[in-house]
Amino acid sequence: MLKLGRCVHLLARCTNQTSSFARTLASGGTDITKPFRQIRDGLSWTIPKDLQNSDRPPGEVDVLIIGGGAMGSSIAYFLKAARKAGVSVAVVERDSGYSMSSTVLSVGSIRQQFSTPENIYMSMYSAQFIKNVQEHLQVEGSDPPDLQFNDQGYLFLATKDKEHILHENHIIQKNCGAKVELMTQNQLKKRFPWMNTDNVTLGSYGLENEGWLDPWSLLKSFKEKAIDLGAKYYNAEVTGFNVVDDDAKPIDPTQFAPNGRRLNSVMVSMINSPEVVEVKSSYVVLTAGAWSGQLGKLLGIGTGPKEENLHMPIPVEPRKRYVYFFHCPEGPGLECPLLIDPSGSYVRREGFGGNYLCGKSPNECDEPSCEDLNVNYDFFDTEIWPNLAHRIPVMEKLKVKSAWAGYYDYNCLDQNAIIGSHPAYGNFLMATGFSGHGIQQSPAVGKLVSEKILAGEFQTIDVSKFGFERCITETPVLERCVI
Amino acid sequence: MLTLLSVSISTIVLINVKKWNWNALFVALAMMTFLSITTVNNSGSASWSFLSHSLAVDSLSAPLIILSCWLAPLCFLAQNVVKGNSGSLQNGFLALTCSIIFFLLLTFSSLNILSFFICFEATLIPTLVLITRWGANVERLQAGTYFLFYTLFGSLPLLVSIVLISQTTSTLMIPISEIVSLQGNTFFSINIWWVITIVAFLVKMPIYGFHLWLPKAHVEAPVAGSMILAAILLKLGGYGIIRMNAYFPDVTTLSAILTVICCWGALITSILCTRQTDLKALIAYSSVGHMSLVAAGTIVFSDWTISGAIMLMVAHGLVSSALFALANILYERTHTRNIFITRGFKMITVLLPFWWLISCAANLGLPPLPNLIGELYIITGIISWSIFLAPILGVATVFGAIYSLLIYQSTNTQSIVLSSMNFSEISPREHILILFHLLPLLSIIVAPNSCMVWSN
Repeated sequence: MLKLGRCVHLLARCTNQTSSFARTLASGGTDITKPFRQIRDGLSWTIPKDLQNSDRPPGEVDVLIIGGGAMGSSIAYFLKAARKAGVSVAVVERDSGYSMSSTVLSVGSIRQQFSTPENIYMSMYSAQFIKNVQEHLQVEGSDPPDLQFNDQGYLFLATKDKEHILHENHIIQKNCGAKVELMTQNQLKKRFPWMNTDNVTLGSYGLENEGWLDPWSLLKSFKEKAIDLGAKYYNAEVTGFNVVDDDAKPIDPTQFAPNGRRLNSVMVSMINSPEVVEVKSSYVVLTAGAWSGQLGKLLGIGTGPKEENLHMPIPVEPRKRYVYFFHCPEGPGLECPLLIDPSGSYVRREGFGGNYLCGKSPNECDEPSCEDLNVNYDFFDTEIWPNLAHRIPVMEKLKVKSAWAGYYDYNCLDQNAIIGSHPAYGNFLMATGFSGHGIQQSPAVGKLVSEKILAGEFQTIDVSKFGFERCITETPVLERCVI
Repeated sequence: MLTLLSVSISTIVLINVKKWNWNALFVALAMMTFLSITTVNNSGSASWSFLSHSLAVDSLSAPLIILSCWLAPLCFLAQNVVKGNSGSLQNGFLALTCSIIFFLLLTFSSLNILSFFICFEATLIPTLVLITRWGANVERLQAGTYFLFYTLFGSLPLLVSIVLISQTTSTLMIPISEIVSLQGNTFFSINIWWVITIVAFLVKMPIYGFHLWLPKAHVEAPVAGSMILAAILLKLGGYGIIRMNAYFPDVTTLSAILTVICCWGALITSILCTRQTDLKALIAYSSVGHMSLVAAGTIVFSDWTISGAIMLMVAHGLVSSALFALANILYERTHTRNIFITRGFKMITVLLPFWWLISCAANLGLPPLPNLIGELYIITGIISWSIFLAPILGVATVFGAIYSLLIYQSTNTQSIVLSSMNFSEISPREHILILFHLLPLLSIIVAPNSCMVWSN
């Protein structure tokens, strides 16, 4: 009797599911591929539901990515997009709302005007990726992603004494194939009549592959496509590492050869729960943004002996930067580029209603504290507005509508990325320290890190100059165009 | 025979000794192995030796009994300790593995079809527990389910057939199976009877259509479980078909169809192997390919193919088990089975590429190793039965060579990621493990009659 009732109940559930599928089809609903995906995913047949939708990371995974921002999601996407490799990827992100992540709080711009060729190549690759993002990141059954990419150049302005820097950078950029042009004072006056070109003698204007986009859409597209391809995201926090120390031999510090240490597993503690899962992984990629230095300390990077290359910490720390959103009724319109004043302030158009975004990196001695993300409006009044008003006279009349603050994952050594593995732990990769130009390099970094894991070396662009070794020998690779 | 069994039972008793569990067990099983070699029957005739009331050994079961006894201590050498488990759980692991070996010995030496069937089924439960309790990933639950239900559904028809045989012939003794004649009611019913008899073994071997449980079970099982599964449990199928075929001398229709299915299965599986990303799944699919060939050989049932089948079963058991042990050596250190990540270990693991080379060469059928002899005998027999299967078997062999070399090349000679190669050294235990897998292959080269069957 009971059996009969159960059979009827199961049958009702089956018909219910099929009828809801039929209803979705009939109503032209968008997610018709969900039942097919469920069939394709064979595990759903025999594993109990609560084990399938588990929030806990598995006991074993091929690549564990710490931090699920733009960098982490990009690496997850590229690892899974290399489908023939079939690696299993787990991304551990402790803040599912991304409230303090540098990715979503960023201004989201992309430029080719760097002074290090590797940076230029990475941005060029990313610009190509972003322009073709609908081909790369579209998930079956939903709309193609829209990053709202505004193709509009950067304009770096230089006074007489800094002119030579701009010239040198321009030669490097031209050699790399970036489309940038130098403009004299007269050309600037003619092209941008609203600009005050008093003490400006040279300008460097990007003609192609520069602009700004919506970083939240980029993150969301990477994450959704990675999940669709099979990467798993877990809302948890990494709290420890287990290291296997077979035959750890002291090595010659001038030679970055591996010693006997290996990162064996990662302790992942679940949010709001005392549970800690030990995840054994073959590779661990650190993309925790501003908190990478902290996580490195958990692994002993910075507190270990010099013979094992563990004496230098990961030199990445959070630095707070403010972004102000204001309305200027008579401001420059569509032709307004991302203008960077010789004083360091930048301003760009946002939308088409006379709104603008601006900001400035403070001097070393005036760094605001990173306790929280509160905005200091006095900074705008004293540091930014005078420069803006001087450069663009109509901006004397403006009204600040809102502002926010975000963290730069600031590389204290040379404000350039750290991409590569740590000499002491061969299977511990890092992609952090982007100091404000992370979003524009995230697709390229994703591709490069996935190549490092799957092919053993960087194939698209050789970024070995950005390895962690330079942090140990303290030889900075300085970037001159830091905003 | 009774000595063998008593030694094997005593191993289960030894488990309760508190200290020296694994080592004592290893010694006891090694003693049993050396005793078992006395069962080898080199006279080349179909005689039964070690005859007792219900157990005996003939030239078909002798190599397989030696194989099971040989693999037993090697399993314990491979899975040296089950980390992190309490003492009673470790005892459980040892007890399960020993019981599998005990039932295997009974299966291969039983003289009664029903007792053969009971022991055949009895090996299922400990293997299932081994996979689902000591496997590493969450997929092991699905693997256990597939393994259990495929094999169970396969063997229900076998039970029906055994009951039918005992009703019609009123005897279930194996030695007189050739002179018993089974009368079907219609022409076709003898074919159906034959199919329901051997479908259990076809699922166990497995052949291509019924093979889904094998990659799952092999990948999720712990290394001792994988080794036993690959080496011996699969051979139960081959042994069963050869024994049961004696009752059905004139099934031509369905046997033709099944032979063709097995040959195509070997081809398809070999092609599938080249696209696997998981090292253990690759080796598992290669097992399916080799066993499909063995199945085809046993169904054709000529002198040459049966001899080839036994030779290939023994050789494949040793080589497949060696490959699983090698894969586990890498897996213990890198925690991944993905072939794109476990790559290029030639410079790092010092002597291991040598063992990899021999195992992969044996897998692809390199003369004078017995894998080639077995394959050659089977292929010759099948081609003489029907020339149209020649291109299929030829391409299957070529793909077999392709994926075996792929295994060797990707784990040893691919471009390495030097910085992630922090490895502990390969211990002598692991070297001895692989050496003892490959030594019997060499000894079979000089004494092939031990693995060839009687000439009727």
